[in-house]
Amino acid sequence: MNKMKELNLKGHLLTAISYLIPIVCGAGFLIAIGMGFGGTSQGELIPGEFSFWDALATMGGAGLGLLPVVIATGISYSIAGKPGIAPGFIIGLTANAIGAGFIGGILGGFLSGYLAVAILKYFKVPKWAKGLMPTLILPFFTSIIGGLIMVYIIGSPIAALTSLLTNALDSLGSSSLLVFGGIVGLLSGIDYGGPINKTVFAFVLTMQAEGINGPITALQLVNTATPIGFGLAYFIAKLFGKKIYTPAETETLKSAVPMGFINIVEGVIPIVMNDIIRCLIATAIGGAAGGAVSMVLGADATVPFGGVLMLPTMSNPLTGVIALLVNILVTGLTLALIKRHVNQDEMNVEKEMEEEDIDLDDIKIY
Amino acid sequence: MKIVGVAACTVGIAHTYIAQEKLENAGKAAGHEIAIETQGTIGTENELTKEQITAADIVILAADVKIAGRERFEGKRIIQVPTEVAVKSPNKLIEKAAEVIEKK
Repeated sequence: MNKMKELNLKGHLLTAISYLIPIVCGAGFLIAIGMGFGGTSQGELIPGEFSFWDALATMGGAGLGLLPVVIATGISYSIAGKPGIAPGFIIGLTANAIGAGFIGGILGGFLSGYLAVAILKYFKVPKWAKGLMPTLILPFFTSIIGGLIMVYIIGSPIAALTSLLTNALDSLGSSSLLVFGGIVGLLSGIDYGGPINKTVFAFVLTMQAEGINGPITALQLVNTATPIGFGLAYFIAKLFGKKIYTPAETETLKSAVPMGFINIVEGVIPIVMNDIIRCLIATAIGGAAGGAVSMVLGADATVPFGGVLMLPTMSNPLTGVIALLVNILVTGLTLALIKRHVNQDEMNVEKEMEEEDIDLDDIKIY
Repeated sequence: MKIVGVAACTVGIAHTYIAQEKLENAGKAAGHEIAIETQGTIGTENELTKEQITAADIVILAADVKIAGRERFEGKRIIQVPTEVAVKSPNKLIEKAAEVIEKK
């Protein structure tokens, strides 16, 4: 277990994802706008034979097609530093070539990074050849070993697995979609952008890279709806003469709700911390409802981030709007119902926030 | 005591800055001098100066991802946590940092 921790697999993956997100968002919007106006993503732009919208769609398509390469390079860089970049590129492209896709890119990145580290450590060169190490020896040997493993050993099984997975997801009936969407929504609602949410994110982002947009759309719509639901709860509760937030919490809402619109769920954390269980129940129920609706109706944003900005990228934006509304309403109603009335005393004395104890496993001291 | 640190989360738009703010507030509340650099998607902001790092008693890294310029802290006491911890328990984290220094 400690060994696993030292490897820090998740940290490397998250580092790579942090490089990936701006690319997916940029390319995702390009392809969405291009295709929205009738363009198609083409392998090659032949002068005089393409429209402006074809150009946009092609730019986006080119960017999205590079995702396995970006994830491989990012992971490899995270593990090995600068020497990881070159072999990461080559092995990522190899994963693309053999059809191993995003999952291949992830494994290729780890392969490349650890190979680079191993070669740096065990491959000793005489002093005069030191310059050859970073320029020739390391990129060549890492790439040839990693690339061949990709091509002859892991590539084809991954490609088969990937198409199995995408086919299975594509053929899900609406009842399984309901369950699947519900689970994605519940898991992403449950920890407000924390580790569970990010793990689910990595999983659904993988699916998006394989062309299945539903799950990630469900996840991000839940992240968007949650803070807005917290805002709505304020008004619903008020309607019944109930006060569920302290003045400080109301203040927090003023920034948390707008942040929610652009997909940042973290704004509500201070409010959640004061009343974890009730808030969790409300977000989880709302998230499950929103996620399920989103998947059943087939909301399919081509970008993995952006909150309400994701709506125009869907083939039918109305589906996303409905999922958002359902999620917001359910979360808001539940919160208004189950949160306690804040009485006058608590209004005056701002409660000292209890902090969670730090888990010693979470902390590393050097 | 003097604390420097870096905050960096996965998406680089929210947790990074919440962690920075919470740590700075908690540090100041406990009477320390504290400066936290943010490495978000937009790039590095509030960059730590050489003098700040040299003068610091301890370094707090609240990061979920590989941070840039880690070698700047070579030879310093470093506490590394996920951003989550800095967001949820900033005061306890600062206390812990103080303990680590005292033990030295």
